[in-house]
Amino acid sequence: MDILISSIAAGVLIGMVLALVALGLTIIFGVMDIVNFAHGEFLMIGMYTGLLTAKAVGIDPLLALPVAAAVGFLLGVICYYGFVKFLLRGPMVAQLLGTFGLMLFLRNLALLIFGSEDRALHHGLLVGKSFDLGMGVIIPATKLAAAGLSVIAFLAVWLLMNRTKLGKALTATSLNSQAARYMGIATERMNALAWGIGGGSVTVAGALIVNFWSVNPFVGLLFTMIAFAIVALGGFGSVPGALFASIVVGLIMEIPGIWDFLTYTLSWDWMINVPMTSFKYTFVYLAYFIIMVIRPSGLFGWKH
Amino acid sequence: MEALKNALDFSDFPRIDLVVAACGAAFILAFPLFPHSSFAMATMIQFLMFSLYGMGWNTIGGYGGQVDLGKAQYVGIGAYTTAVMLIRWDIPFWVSMPIGMSLAVGWSFIIGYPLFRLKGHYFAIATIATSLVLLDLFQVWEFVGAARGLEISPIKYSPPDFLRLIFKEDIYYYYIIAGFFFLGIFYINWFRNSRLGFQLRCIKDNEDVARSLGINVHRAKIKTYAIATAFVSMVGSFHACYIKNIEPEDTMSLDISILIALMAMLGGAGSLWGPIIGAAVLIPLKSYLKEWLGAQAGLLGIDLIVYALIIMVISAVEPRGIWGVIERIRRRRN
Repeated sequence: MDILISSIAAGVLIGMVLALVALGLTIIFGVMDIVNFAHGEFLMIGMYTGLLTAKAVGIDPLLALPVAAAVGFLLGVICYYGFVKFLLRGPMVAQLLGTFGLMLFLRNLALLIFGSEDRALHHGLLVGKSFDLGMGVIIPATKLAAAGLSVIAFLAVWLLMNRTKLGKALTATSLNSQAARYMGIATERMNALAWGIGGGSVTVAGALIVNFWSVNPFVGLLFTMIAFAIVALGGFGSVPGALFASIVVGLIMEIPGIWDFLTYTLSWDWMINVPMTSFKYTFVYLAYFIIMVIRPSGLFGWKH
Repeated sequence: MEALKNALDFSDFPRIDLVVAACGAAFILAFPLFPHSSFAMATMIQFLMFSLYGMGWNTIGGYGGQVDLGKAQYVGIGAYTTAVMLIRWDIPFWVSMPIGMSLAVGWSFIIGYPLFRLKGHYFAIATIATSLVLLDLFQVWEFVGAARGLEISPIKYSPPDFLRLIFKEDIYYYYIIAGFFFLGIFYINWFRNSRLGFQLRCIKDNEDVARSLGINVHRAKIKTYAIATAFVSMVGSFHACYIKNIEPEDTMSLDISILIALMAMLGGAGSLWGPIIGAAVLIPLKSYLKEWLGAQAGLLGIDLIVYALIIMVISAVEPRGIWGVIERIRRRRN
């Protein structure tokens, strides 16, 4: 029983962090109908930013979040004006392969600069500490803080999107960019802003994740695929959908662990040889596939 | 008979195209007779293999306009079928290749039926997802060697073995894949003027119009997907015999799928010559970049940075590829 509770707790916490990862992807898709394959690479850059800032300045990694946000915002805006703007004129296959090229570029640039070894944080305010909630449920402090801060960041972006004039202009652009242009909204600038917010939120998520996840240049693709699954489940372009769906995906990722525990305790010999944890992310991909086929617009989606 | 005649009928191309194509064919046939390094030979074999992958992708992705980024799973199915059958039961290549093709086509029907209900981005990402699921499965499946992969040891057989396709010299492999290559060109030449080919181009331009003309859109897509799959799986089987050491990460990773789609796009998707031009540019470029910048200068990943920049420039500046540029110049001249 306690394994069930602690798995659910872990799933919900990781889900909250993943919500921030998926947020940028869903905003970018909503505003300009482009799927960003380089999303996971932005996250990887956020992880390195958090790690290196903390090491260079000697502050706690959680204080490096503003730096990560600034780096991500700039990166997003630069990518938009320098590259993505030109992709939007082309057909869909060019957009897909173009952002894939961006992903390959960022990944190998990181490989050239940082090398291929895993790096992790060893010092920090929260690293290594944990709360014991009783009943065998232990929650690492880093994950709890990351989940809390990421929900705060998520809410901040949500408020920006829904309560400010700028956010309304952004929403108008995503609903109908041509009509928005007639109303005097600078849609080009809105697109750049979407990339800025998308990049900024995902690098913040990266700086949070680095507290409990080691980083190497190849970490991105996994998060890209998870973010795709979340966005598909929540509905492409839907912000509240992304929050709900990421908690669901976080829970899906805990299923194999529970499964293995059950086969071990119930001693189903025929299952022990195949540890389900090696299929941890397979479940996420399968979930994506099944959701897309059954309900192509996602749970809260409005774009087709 | 009619089909054979259509496959050999290139009369709708301008004469200059045919002259260039004939020169290219003569070069491919004569290449091993001239002195060459083994590295150049390996690059040429890679070029022929990837042209065939690209031709397969081009049926569904180019003529049909469905961006498929999951072709690597069929490379894997073909390669693993041949390798497993040869190692475990000593079944020769010429038997295991059709079996691998039918397995791949069967799998493509199973996933194609739900896949083609999706469109655009959703379809592209779903193809990646299925490919990754299969990759994860092969990495833990003990029967096919899990993450270590399989190794065909050539010592057990006496080369040259034409049944099992085990040779010492690359030249045999070269002519066998060149044979497949020419057959592939003739097949695609037939395909592009077949009923299915016209249906697909109609679907690409406007799906609703295609449906209103009485085309069964879903069925046409699944059929073409099966053709593309058969191509890719066939070359996958050859890959197993040629490389002799297959691992899940090498044969079915996302990078292979992307490379296949990229080549067709670089050359010009939806044309007969496009994938071949794309492979002729990209494969030598990729392997020489790796050799010069990656291995000799000792800079990790710099070859892939250059490669990524090329992808970005092409997709931003000229998404219709080299063939698109040629056609535009021609139109201006007329």
